[in-house]
Amino acid sequence: MTTPNLTEPLKIGTIVRIRNSGYGRARIVEFRGPLGPKGARVYRIRVRKKPRPAYIEVLEDQLETASVGK
Amino acid sequence: MALFSHPVAGAPPLGPVAPPPLAQESLQGYVMLVSGHFQGFCRDLYTECAQLCAAAVPAAMRTTIQAQFAAGLALNTWNPTNKSIRKDFERFSFLLDLGGAAPGNPQRVTHLGHLNYWRNHVAHQNATPPPAGVPAVLTLADIQAWRASCDGLATSLDDIMRQELTRILGAAPW
Repeated sequence: MTTPNLTEPLKIGTIVRIRNSGYGRARIVEFRGPLGPKGARVYRIRVRKKPRPAYIEVLEDQLETASVGK
Repeated sequence: MALFSHPVAGAPPLGPVAPPPLAQESLQGYVMLVSGHFQGFCRDLYTECAQLCAAAVPAAMRTTIQAQFAAGLALNTWNPTNKSIRKDFERFSFLLDLGGAAPGNPQRVTHLGHLNYWRNHVAHQNATPPPAGVPAVLTLADIQAWRASCDGLATSLDDIMRQELTRILGAAPW
């Protein structure tokens, strides 16, 4: 059984932080859909890293939106 | 259907027939669509499986697991070949044998190879003729067979991952 998502998905390009991670600010680059456990939303996140950015897919409840400039 | 197939014997002509170049372009588009759709299925299934595993570990470790599952994922950049599917799904600590998973799968894996060959042929506008064994000309019947094979492989992959996640998680995931 899936949990209905009553709110709109986060927008592509939103700056976020990933809870319980050592990453700094990151950017949502793709909404992957309700692919998490019980239909939880999954996002693909780009994390700034040298020499190339890293990508990670996380659940919506792991994300907190970050203010631009902080 | 009539756009691509020969007229049925005895049937009256239904009107103007699309010129061959347009038919070929439509078939080429169909190849890209089937390949892309199958890649999307594999990628989504992988993500579902990875997130189920990540949800089974303590919250403090979750991002670490997710990062490992996402690092260097072949299906994000490569075609959905048997090799790239194995490369990604074998991260769940088993040897993936799609060809041996069902009686019809050896033929389906061959079809997947043909589909990916033609997908690249179309995307890169290759002028070289296909190697022996690969259909030399795109036909609707071939693409429909490749599509049916992708359906079969998708069912097999779903079954395999359900079994493997049951082993990993101790309960059926779906």
